[in-house]
Amino acid sequence: MDKLRVKIDGRTILAAPGKTILEVAEENGIHIPTLCHLDGLRDVGACRLCIVDLYGQLVTSCTTKVADGMEIGTQTETVRAYRRTILELLFAEGNHVCSFCVSNGGCELQDLACELGMHSVRVPYTYRRERVDATHPRFLIDRDRCVLCGRCVRVCQEVEGAHTWGFAERGATVRVITDLAVPWGTAESCTSCGKCVEVCPTGAIARKGASNAEMRKHPDLVAELTERRARG
Amino acid sequence: MGKVKVATVWFSGCAGCHMSLLDIDEVLIDLAGRVEFCNSPITDLKVFPEGGVDVTLVEGAIGNEEQLELARTVRAKSKIVISLGDCAVTGNVPALRNGIPPRELIEEIYGTSRTTNGALPYEVVPRLLERVRPLHEVIPVDYFLHGCPPPAGLIAKAVLALLDGKTPELAGADLKFG
Amino acid sequence: MAGRLEVLVCSGGACMSSHSLEMKEELVRQLETQLLTDEVRIVETGCMGPCQHGPLVLVYPEGVLYKNVAASDVAEIVTEHFLKGRVVERLLFRSETADQIIREHRSIPFFEKQMKIVLANCGAINPESIEEYIGAGGYEALGKAVTTMTPEGVVAEMKASGLRGRGGAGFPTGTKWDFVRREASPKKVVVCNADEGDPGAFMDRAVLEGDPHTVIEGLAIAAYAVGAQRGYVYVRAEYPLAISRLRSALDAARKLGLLGERIFDTAFSFDIEIRVGAGAFVCGEETALLASLEGRRGVPHPRPPYPSTSGMWQLPTLLNNVETYANVRHIIARGSAWFASIGTGESKGTKVFALSGNVRNTGLVEVPMGTTLGELIYDIGGGVPNGKKLKAVQTGGPSGGCIPVQHLNTPISYETLKELGAIVGSGGVIVLDEDTCMVNLARYFVEFTASESCGQCVPCRSGLVRMLDILDRITRGEGSMEDLALLEELAHTIRRSSLCGLGQTAPNPVLSTLRYFRHEYEAHIQNKTCPAAVCAALFVAPCEASCPAHVDVPAYVAHLSNGDFAKAFDVHMKTNPLPGICGRVCYAFCETKCQRAQIEESVAIRDLKRFMADYAMEHKLAGPKPVDRNGLRVAVVGSGPAGLTCGYFLAQLGYEPVLFEALPIAGGTMATGIPAYRLPRDILKADIDRIVKAGVRIELLSAVDDLEQLFAEGYAAVFVATGAMKGQTVALGETLPRGVVTGVEFLKGIHVDGGSEVGDEVVVIGGGNSAIDSARAALRLGAKRVTIAYRRARADMPASPEEIAEAIEEGVEILDMTSPVGVVGGERVEGLRCASMAAGPFDASGRRRPVPSDRPEIVLPASMVIVAVGQEATGELLRSAGIEVAKGGLVVVDPVTMRTSRPGIFAGGDATTGPATVVEAIGAGRRAAVAIDRFLGGPGAFEPEERVEVATSYDEDAYTQELDRAVPPMADVRTRIHSFAEVRGRFAKEQAMEEARRCLHCDRKQTEDGACCESSAAEAAGATTR
Repeated sequence: MDKLRVKIDGRTILAAPGKTILEVAEENGIHIPTLCHLDGLRDVGACRLCIVDLYGQLVTSCTTKVADGMEIGTQTETVRAYRRTILELLFAEGNHVCSFCVSNGGCELQDLACELGMHSVRVPYTYRRERVDATHPRFLIDRDRCVLCGRCVRVCQEVEGAHTWGFAERGATVRVITDLAVPWGTAESCTSCGKCVEVCPTGAIARKGASNAEMRKHPDLVAELTERRARG
Repeated sequence: MGKVKVATVWFSGCAGCHMSLLDIDEVLIDLAGRVEFCNSPITDLKVFPEGGVDVTLVEGAIGNEEQLELARTVRAKSKIVISLGDCAVTGNVPALRNGIPPRELIEEIYGTSRTTNGALPYEVVPRLLERVRPLHEVIPVDYFLHGCPPPAGLIAKAVLALLDGKTPELAGADLKFG
Repeated sequence: MAGRLEVLVCSGGACMSSHSLEMKEELVRQLETQLLTDEVRIVETGCMGPCQHGPLVLVYPEGVLYKNVAASDVAEIVTEHFLKGRVVERLLFRSETADQIIREHRSIPFFEKQMKIVLANCGAINPESIEEYIGAGGYEALGKAVTTMTPEGVVAEMKASGLRGRGGAGFPTGTKWDFVRREASPKKVVVCNADEGDPGAFMDRAVLEGDPHTVIEGLAIAAYAVGAQRGYVYVRAEYPLAISRLRSALDAARKLGLLGERIFDTAFSFDIEIRVGAGAFVCGEETALLASLEGRRGVPHPRPPYPSTSGMWQLPTLLNNVETYANVRHIIARGSAWFASIGTGESKGTKVFALSGNVRNTGLVEVPMGTTLGELIYDIGGGVPNGKKLKAVQTGGPSGGCIPVQHLNTPISYETLKELGAIVGSGGVIVLDEDTCMVNLARYFVEFTASESCGQCVPCRSGLVRMLDILDRITRGEGSMEDLALLEELAHTIRRSSLCGLGQTAPNPVLSTLRYFRHEYEAHIQNKTCPAAVCAALFVAPCEASCPAHVDVPAYVAHLSNGDFAKAFDVHMKTNPLPGICGRVCYAFCETKCQRAQIEESVAIRDLKRFMADYAMEHKLAGPKPVDRNGLRVAVVGSGPAGLTCGYFLAQLGYEPVLFEALPIAGGTMATGIPAYRLPRDILKADIDRIVKAGVRIELLSAVDDLEQLFAEGYAAVFVATGAMKGQTVALGETLPRGVVTGVEFLKGIHVDGGSEVGDEVVVIGGGNSAIDSARAALRLGAKRVTIAYRRARADMPASPEEIAEAIEEGVEILDMTSPVGVVGGERVEGLRCASMAAGPFDASGRRRPVPSDRPEIVLPASMVIVAVGQEATGELLRSAGIEVAKGGLVVVDPVTMRTSRPGIFAGGDATTGPATVVEAIGAGRRAAVAIDRFLGGPGAFEPEERVEVATSYDEDAYTQELDRAVPPMADVRTRIHSFAEVRGRFAKEQAMEEARRCLHCDRKQTEDGACCESSAAEAAGATTR
């Protein structure tokens, strides 16, 4: 198939049709921050951190396919400012207390603060109060640390096929649930495969027994799995 | 040129940030020549200088009325205010009490605990605020040093830059919380 | 037999909730009793439109429309109208302007400017009868399309019509159809979006309930055009009546073969299913709707892919709104050229709007695109009720924006409203009057969208909550200017980075109110006031908040109710030292916001004040004691209400104020301009004497012409309150004969210069209070005939309605829409030539501008012509002192500190605002005294005093049911026009106490029990110092 010609941050790049802006950028060494995106899972464009400028419109690079002649800005001043504001909103809505988190030092949210240059959160913190669900024998979920990226929901549906994780409620009260909002340990559909633990970008879903800053996750597992499956 | 006046204050926090400040090793010697330490929990000067200071490093979140008042004094009398560490920057651990009414908290901790005599500290000690706030929710803050505690090197980097009259370049790994 | 009469009973949702069905049953019974069953046919129809006035009954063949018909009215209609042919007039509509009864429903202004295409059958046929629908031309278009047109031809026709999506976005419908038609898939779907969710919008519901077949026919034509086999109507579960009527309509259509296999014996087969939504607002968004249709969680996904390429079950899907589909059959039947001839350049056809809010005729209306907002609100909507002023129009629901009153001439179209920061949207139009707080309104919509956000994407889910939090703080008076900046930044971030239309448009209410009403946000933040007196945390009570002098009305009224008249007087003197004057001539802004009006009428606050002031005068009460003298002298130039008040409060603060008055009499306009029958001169004198006793010196006949000289004489500060004393004129000719005077000169002549000759016939030009004063004064000076010529409509007269009514009662004739063009006469005036005016476009104040009509000029005979068209300040004194004076002679001052550009010189009252009211000048005078005190090193405050709620000593519950507002005795109209004695009388003591007890005590704030408030005050202070 003919290659498309696109311009990213002033650089002219030849891209294969059908690829997303994010894929093309990554292939060419141009980094775009992401959170809900994960190689191997369907993209939903929920976190909005991968927004890029496309002719003055802001689009999520994970869901927008390249087209011939596109001119894309991944680091414009507006894009960077909006990403930072969105990140502040994420920090403000949860209790992301890094100092005593299992994922301290291995957290995608923590890394994003460094990457996007977030010095302080200008909106008041919400201080959510959700109970930790530690009913599962091997895993637990601390919803106060959840960023609602939906990776757990998608990996459970698309890769494991168990459909244990889902969303409940809407607006500010939206949360991830297991089965019909039962304690995780009693969710009959759960196969205890642990994929949700590996893809969770923060310390929200964790292995029991991991102590402060001990949890290291392996989100690449999904891409590997899907690739191997595709190879058959 | 006179010495640069530096103060540090300690609000709701564990003193770890001050420990980290003392941990900057030989830079302390450099600082000793260029800095006049004014009020600080690690010196014997307990009153914030009337005449004001150049830089104040603030550890801890704002949790009670006394801290709120002192924070305002700090802002009024400091040219530069720095939030030192996650408690000042985000509220961190002290803010975990947010959402629990202060009265319930006090009654649980001082009233029903086995190790206390049931006397509730309402009178003598400063009253708790309804919720613990990061410093910049209360006063404007100029720089933020992340970390629990902030690495000694980060503190040294920021303070030395300011002493040289430069803006501290805080980016990348400098902004790591926790 | 077919029946002599056809009686249409509205069974739209609104009329049904006003018991139209019970009324209909009674009608059936009455017809049976009167043996009229064969002669009268009853038809239950869908919504007729003027929902405010339901239940509605329309009687054919006459076309008589009855409103507010209760079951108890039915017997009268049946016996009088149906049997005797006498229309029951008391149940008819009345014309707002001419005060006439309107029989024929098409002449009711509400219907006159409407054009019904989408709603053609709504309210005209029985929605449950497919025969009636077919009888009205139904399914002709479908037949025409499938038997005589190609799908391409149908699409081309839709494109040519210029129809655009009525769901809100306004995407060209034909183009969308073309996209779907061009998809190669053998299976396609058409979907009707009936998930109407905007608060206050009910047009889709009305169409489905009133004319379901029109939607079915539209869907079928669309399916034929794009090549779809299945259709879905996604309708919210909250619309059970719509669902049941649609369901029976589908059954009826299937029975006649209009749905199903081989429709009209062609190869075209198509059927429709209803899918009931659970009422999530976000499911109105097309991708979320499709997810919900498939049975998944109703959350949107990013586009592309668009539904036209991959929609339901990944099939090419055509998705349009109810109203869009309802247009289709008309376009096909009557042709695209006909449709395109209606509307504006880019916006064709009509639009259905749901009118709600502060408008007389709430309901459902359909107008051609290009109709102006003013026509929609005034001509069709009947304007704003209760004498309130229009402030803005909110269009497009939570995604829309507010359009302020100065844009009433805007023709409605997708483009024009977008330019103004609003949208046509689905068609919700909320009319907002002066009592609307725009910050609170924006807060309401953000609260709605925050709770309706699907929670998937971060900016919308988390950002809207943060915006709501900031708006909450602002409405509580705890916001900062940094908050406002952050609010705007969040709004832009959410608008540009959210996933779907809900988030992208949710900040619009905030952005549009910030665009036009930023000053209201700033008032909440900087002055801690809510100008509309809505945000309860920011005021004592609505009456106090709306009083320019901030008199603590609830406190003194409570004292009056207890019989503590002296205490009431003391409360009043704390903020307003002119109770006798205000008890007579105050505009009583307090009464316009009085919550008692929700029960019957506002408390008679001004009459209560008058009672209290008279009591104080008769008992020689002096008011609160001043503090010790500090020896500083302050000069006050002018002895009007601003000067007197400023002087009084300076004396209270320990200063020695000296008032300089150029005239031989103190009081400013109150002495020169207000006739004694409204303000007796002994009352004026009593109020001024009390101020003099409090330590204010007044130097009469002492014009000040050099402000700097005052400083040289040792005055520490100067307050300039010289008023707006120059009468404005209108162009009546080069040289004017004798007998033409300004209202200012005329009124001053009566009370200051002594007497005026008026002759027999006096014509007054103008519509304000000074025009009414001049007219009534002229009567009292012996004029036999007094006429007021006013160029606009009577309803637009700025004079108070009460004054106008009293003037008419006294025999003053008002000729509105009459504009003077010249005088007749030689040396002395003999008449006034006037042109007849017609109502033109709307001006910035929301009133119709008068334009010359084609009617001939008239000449009013006149022995005297009084020009009372307004007054202006000259600003000479200040300009000569080098102080900044704006256009129109108004002194430029800081509204809070009252400072002019020269330190030490302050100004207030009419000199800075132009002609305003006594009480506004009083407020300014007090603010100036406080500002001067601060300037001179004082605390700038009176004794700090916590406000105390006044306890009452009567049974408050006994006064919560409906009670008549007390009316004071009035002088007999036959005698009063011969003298300048006071017209309005005074309450008796018992009457005053009873009236005071009607107060609802809005000042009593409920405290939340159990809430920990140990340090909330300190924290609030913390938030504001940021």
